[in-house]
Parts: sequence; structure tokens; C-alpha cells
Amino acid sequence: MKDYQATVVKNEEIARGICEITFRLQETAKVRPGQFGAISVGGVHLLRRPIAVCKAEGNEVTFCYQIKGDGTKKLKNVGAGSVLNVLMPLGNGFFVEENEKKVALVGGGVGIFPLVSVVRAYANEKEISSFIGFRNAGAVCALEEFEKSAKFVAVTDDGSFGEKMNSVQAFEKALAEGYRPDVILSCGPTPMLRALKAVAVRENIPCYVSLEERMGCGIGACLVCVCNLTNGARARVCKDGPVFNANEVNL
Amino acid sequence: MANLSVNLCGVSLKNPVIAASGTFGFGREFNELYDIGTIGGVSTKGMTLQPRLGNPVPRIAESRGVILNAVGLQNPGVEHFIAEDLAWLKSTGTCVIANVAGQTLEDYQAICARLDGLVDMIELNISCPNVKSGGMAFGIKPETVEAVTVQAKKGLKKTPLIVKLSPNVENIAVNARAAENGGADCVSLVNTFTGMAIDIEKRRPIIANNTGGVSGAGIKPIAVRMVYEVANAVKIPVIGMGGITCAEDAIEFLMAGATAVQVGTANFTDPYAMPKIISGLNAWCDSHGVASVAELVGTLQMNGK
Repeated sequence: MKDYQATVVKNEEIARGICEITFRLQETAKVRPGQFGAISVGGVHLLRRPIAVCKAEGNEVTFCYQIKGDGTKKLKNVGAGSVLNVLMPLGNGFFVEENEKKVALVGGGVGIFPLVSVVRAYANEKEISSFIGFRNAGAVCALEEFEKSAKFVAVTDDGSFGEKMNSVQAFEKALAEGYRPDVILSCGPTPMLRALKAVAVRENIPCYVSLEERMGCGIGACLVCVCNLTNGARARVCKDGPVFNANEVNL
Repeated sequence: MANLSVNLCGVSLKNPVIAASGTFGFGREFNELYDIGTIGGVSTKGMTLQPRLGNPVPRIAESRGVILNAVGLQNPGVEHFIAEDLAWLKSTGTCVIANVAGQTLEDYQAICARLDGLVDMIELNISCPNVKSGGMAFGIKPETVEAVTVQAKKGLKKTPLIVKLSPNVENIAVNARAAENGGADCVSLVNTFTGMAIDIEKRRPIIANNTGGVSGAGIKPIAVRMVYEVANAVKIPVIGMGGITCAEDAIEFLMAGATAVQVGTANFTDPYAMPKIISGLNAWCDSHGVASVAELVGTLQMNGK
């Protein structure tokens, strides 16, 4: 973990309301798939924006973000050559065990972006099947990344691109056709993760989910971004997560 | 190289910059970024006798120049701190300030007694705006400020007591005097201001607790004014805090009468905020011919006087 003075290489809208920003760092940061960075937008915004790493290649690291509030609006207007502070890598990230050969990625909305890093890390050694869902055709992006998977299905909530269903339904459809992964890795809105957890429990397939929560420090000190564990304890999303075994966390 | 050391009621700090409670845990996470032995002190996450799970999420929101939080005193309990974190935190060489809270007067006495002699200082949290019972309930009226201070002191034979004051009161200087009358060795201020931020799409407060404590750069002028008022009302030392982001901010508090300062929200904006403030203090003193940072304390000259 380091607070990098990161130079913006490019920052552009890749789908409706979704931007991709690439930074050049002073060195190659060792980033696990599913880890995140805390990006400072400066000025009146005292909190950093915690955003999953999408791609890390050499000294360059790319994040994708949704324009949601003042801070991300400001981030959208940051031009190439600007320098922002990026504290990274943060969190635990996704781990795929040696014996887990068939990996299912199930992602929805901006939750697809941390999964891009999984495809990039594991496409050569694992059989990856990606099930990704968007709201509508206007939100579709990053397809070229998921095309590196052995199997890839993209769907939309309104059917304007691919079949009209969500990513969990697309995953269930594959299961009905005989597909059975060794592990499921997922990120997306909480209702989606909840539905996926129910499927994983029913099918008895290990499932890991990456959670999102409003954060303070981003490094585990302030106890702002907690989630409820099934054992009654609370865990820090930024430090103990963001990736949790679905069986161990209440969604 | 200026002398940055300060003395707070008999406790020597290598510099006047202390991590504010709740923003720094027990120091372990920030120690992954820099040696926390280089900062003047660490006020721990607020602790209670028993572990607490705290409030539901979201616990934080941002507004221009400030943040709001309502963590609700989530903590592993004082015994966990003593068993797992205390020895390590002391070993870093920083001044260990245990921030403690309770629901009853007896809780405050018991937790102080448990920590007496184990830590360098104890900071009494009677101003947390985010828990229903305890916390701020004791911090509003001068009578209860004095009563809880008296009770806490009954548990203490060795360790100096800091009483952390709420700014959500009629007259903070009166409450500071109440703490002094109750036997406080030091007061710290300000804790957060109670506020609210609304998600207009949902027509609901962003924070699950509805209200949260406002902190960060935007509250600094109010905090400086309150520190000035308190420093002129009591004889015991004052620790100033509220929106300190850089060395110049810290110097304002020192001039207003604070012997030391605490830095909280700035740790979120820049995890290296405190080391930068410490080196900035040194540079400012050197460039202004100030041999010791302690010389700055209370040197404010009011206009028209």
C-alpha cells in the first residue's frame, strides 16, 4: 500500500455515465484482482473515492467509475497530465484456489469492473465463464475484456442488448444447461448478490462476493465501512474485504 | 531544527500533534504507512467496558469541506485493547491516550480504574453525538460534565485525565470550567458538531443514524474560536482540534491557546497528514525564528487590545 502521485494518462466516458481513468504510477504496483484504490479528487471533497482496480499493466493502472455525485463529476473533468493521489492497493481481493479450475464470474452494473481484473489475471490458467448484466444497451461496456473468458454471456435488464434478464438469471440458465463451476466470484448491487448467494447455497458452490460501502480511511482504522457477518460480528469492508465468502456475510 | 516537544500536565510529547480518536484505530493500520512513533500521541478509538457493535451503515457522508460520521462507538472493549493492542502501541514510542466512554457514571469510573497506570493519558469521551445513552448525555450540561469528571477521577491514581468537550452546548467555556472544577487535568475540544446530510433522491438522511458528527476543514474557524474561549477560561492545558489540515492550521490553534492539537478527518484525506504537519511545524518555526513550538502557545493578540 502506497499513496501514489498518479499521473492521469486518459479519462473518458466508455458508456452512459461510466468513465474509465488510467493513471501512470512511478512504479509497477502489485495489485491482486479485486483490490481497490482510494482516489483523491481534492478541494472540498475530504473523502477519497474507493474504486476497484480494473486493469493493472506495468506502471499503468485503470479504474472504471460511475458518475454519481459531486466527487465523481469532478473526477470526470480531470484531464490527461493531471496528478492525483491514489492510495493503493487496498483490500484483500479475489483468490482462486489451485483446485478451482472452472471459475464463474457474475457481475452487475459497475460491479463488472473488479471482475475484469479477474479475467486478466486468470484467463490463461482457469476456465472462466462470465455472466455480466447491464441496465440497458447504453450502459454496455468492457465486452472486449470479458471476451477473453472461455464462455461469456452479456444481458440487459430491458433486453436492449442480449437477453432480457439479469446476470444471476443468466448464470442460473447455464446451470440448468449442465454448467457447474468450482467457484463463483461476484460483484454487483446487494439485491443481486443476495439472489446469487441463494443460488450458490442451493447448488452448494463456493461463492465470493465483493461488497461496496461508504468508506472513511480506506485502510481499516475508522470502522466506518462495516458489514454484518453471519457469526454476529462486524467486519471492515475496506480491510477485511471487500471480498467475503458469501456464506460468512449477511447480505 | 526547532524544539517541537510539549508538556501536557506532566506528560512529555515529542511534538504537539496527536491522532484524534476514531480516525486512527489503535494505530496499526497507519503504522503500515509510516512509523507512528514519530507523532506526538495517539488517542485511541473510543472504548467501552464491553465490546460494542456500533450503528448500522451508512456511517459516513460528505458535504463540501466537511464530513459527517456516526460510527456509534464500535469497539472491541477495553479488555481486548489491553490484551491485544496496548503493549504494541506503547512500543511504538508514541504517547498513548486511551479514549473512553460509558453509559453510566459508574462505567466511566470503572474503565478509568482499569486503565489507570497502563496508559499515558485518558481522554473522557462525554461528547459523542452518535450514541443514545452515555456519550454526549453527560457532555451537555455543566453539572453533569463536572459530575462525570469527579466520578472518573475516583478511578484514577496515576494517569492524567483529559475531558473531551462537546461543541453542541450553550457555552463551551462554562463546561470547560466545570471539567476543571471536577478535577480534569486537561481538556480537549472540539468534538464533532451534530449535523445532517440528505440524499434528495431518496428524501432520506444519508447516514443510517440520520444525524452524524460534522468534522473536517470547514469547522476550523468555529473550533479555533472555541479553543480561544476555553483557553482563557481555564488554568489546565487545552488540546485543540477541529479541521486541522496543515501546519498553519495547527499553529492557529496553538496561538489561540492550545498546548497540543489533534488531527482527525485530515487523516482520511491524506494518510500522511500528520507527518506533514509535524515537518511543517518545524519548518515554520525555523523560518520564523521560533526556537520551541511551546513558545507559540497562547500568543494571540486580539485586535483592538
